[in-house]
Amino acid sequence: MSIRSPDRICPIIIAAVLLGISSLLDSGLAQDPSPKPSADAASSPANINIPGPTHLEPLPAGESVGVLGKKVFAPNGEDLGLITDVIVDRAGQPRAAVIDFGGFLGVGSRKVAVDWSLVSFDTEKRDRAAVLTLSRREIQAAPEYRADAAEAEMVGPPLVGPSSAGDVGK
Amino acid sequence: MLANERVASVAGRAQCGFGGVTATSAGRGLDWFNFFVANIQTGFGPFVAVYLTTQGWTQTRIGLALSVGTLSAMASQLPAGALVDAIRSKAAVAFFSILAFTASALFLAWRPTPLFVYLAEILHGFSSCTLGPAIATMSLIIAGRHALGLRLGRNARFAAIGNGVGAALMGTCGYYFSSRSVFFLTAALTIVGLVPLLPLARLYEPGQSAARQGAAADRHRERVTSVLTNRALLTFAICAMLFTLGNAAMLPLAGGLVAKRAESEATLLIAAGIVLPQLVAAALSPSLGHLAEVRGRRFVLFLGFCTLPIRGVLFAAFPDPGMMVLIQSLDGVAGASLGIIGPLVTSDVAANSGRYNLALGFVGLLIGVGATLSTGIAGWIVDRLGNPVAFLSLAGIGVTAAALVWATMPETRPR
Repeated sequence: MSIRSPDRICPIIIAAVLLGISSLLDSGLAQDPSPKPSADAASSPANINIPGPTHLEPLPAGESVGVLGKKVFAPNGEDLGLITDVIVDRAGQPRAAVIDFGGFLGVGSRKVAVDWSLVSFDTEKRDRAAVLTLSRREIQAAPEYRADAAEAEMVGPPLVGPSSAGDVGK
Repeated sequence: MLANERVASVAGRAQCGFGGVTATSAGRGLDWFNFFVANIQTGFGPFVAVYLTTQGWTQTRIGLALSVGTLSAMASQLPAGALVDAIRSKAAVAFFSILAFTASALFLAWRPTPLFVYLAEILHGFSSCTLGPAIATMSLIIAGRHALGLRLGRNARFAAIGNGVGAALMGTCGYYFSSRSVFFLTAALTIVGLVPLLPLARLYEPGQSAARQGAAADRHRERVTSVLTNRALLTFAICAMLFTLGNAAMLPLAGGLVAKRAESEATLLIAAGIVLPQLVAAALSPSLGHLAEVRGRRFVLFLGFCTLPIRGVLFAAFPDPGMMVLIQSLDGVAGASLGIIGPLVTSDVAANSGRYNLALGFVGLLIGVGATLSTGIAGWIVDRLGNPVAFLSLAGIGVTAAALVWATMPETRPR
């Protein structure tokens, strides 16, 4: 390359890149050790040995799965969208899954809330865990979910048979 | 210093012999550079939101990350323009801007943690603001003021093809592989995109090396205020802001409706709605550039802006998904005409002021403000009054922008 003395921008960008690389290394190192107790230590400086949780339980990979950002598939294997949020009720029980449907490169995506019971999870398959039993037509007929709306609606579970699915459930 | 002079004189000769070997290879380099830049930019758009969702990011955090990108781009426009004005080799600016994109794409792909995502957004926002002006200035050096319209027409053609190909490529990549692979692809493309810069490396602005010999580089610079308060530039910038205010929300709004109404082929239709306008722009750009030199800047800009109200009214009238995709293709005319006339009018006003890039940044800043407000305003109207009213309101803004161009914008074409 015969690009010549780029007077001022060159050192600035090199500095920026170096900064980026160094912070990349830093955070790479910083992530390995377990969470830093700095915040707790600050609040109770005398207590050096912070007590851990009273007991630990296993969370086996094959029996549980994280849902945020997971793909949702139709029973026939069609890729429907991504889970963007889980809505819980007062008791903390999952009420609805917010799913981002459709779109191309982020244009034309649409969020719809569906009843939690409409989503089933096969925790054995980590990549294709979530299956939604709703037809594309029902998804499209559903109102768009807005987190900031005062009264959001979700696609309810079938009341009697599959024919009533797509109505807004109670 | 001697070496510098020799380089400058080579560039000077290349200029005189427009169409000579040097100019042509530089021109071809610029063609493909435009292609790759457009290609590279595809992944950094709304797709970032999809990608971060797949990485388990919450929607609030994603919104914050995208705002960081928008704000850093807007805050960078003027400083970046001033910086590009101060740097002699625009190819070097382009080179480092592309490297910043490489870093940005790799940060996103490798470490989608808040620190690196914000860093990627800031880096991308700033380097977008240095890259656009650098391309415009290189075009000006290659084509000269009197053929700049034709050159910008070519730029717009190659950029449109790059956009279309990029959307197809990255859409396919994201669909069949993973969202993450899109950013690895982007990083790979940035490296390929450096190749067309090779014939541009020795491009310098004529006369600048002489000016730099003393510390008199600033003597040839006009005052910032006198450039930015030029009536033609101000009028154009305000018109462009108004147009973008009406335009930016149109595609997301229409895309959302297509996704809602179309049957199984919604994704394909939205893809068509993104690619089709680029085909239209690729086909028409050279003619629009030519028209700008023959009939004038105001005429071409008016022509482009007129498609916005037409689109708004048609969207409101024909809510059929297939029709909407066809109507969206009109966006190609508007996009191309704004892309050509922006650097062209700015060059008419500020080419010899030493503040060309700053002036471009100023125009970019106002366009950015328009784009940012657009989606907010459209969303507000959709919530309260529904989609047709939103489309008609955006059309109304478009009518205002077009009328303002016709009534107030002075023709700046040099005689």
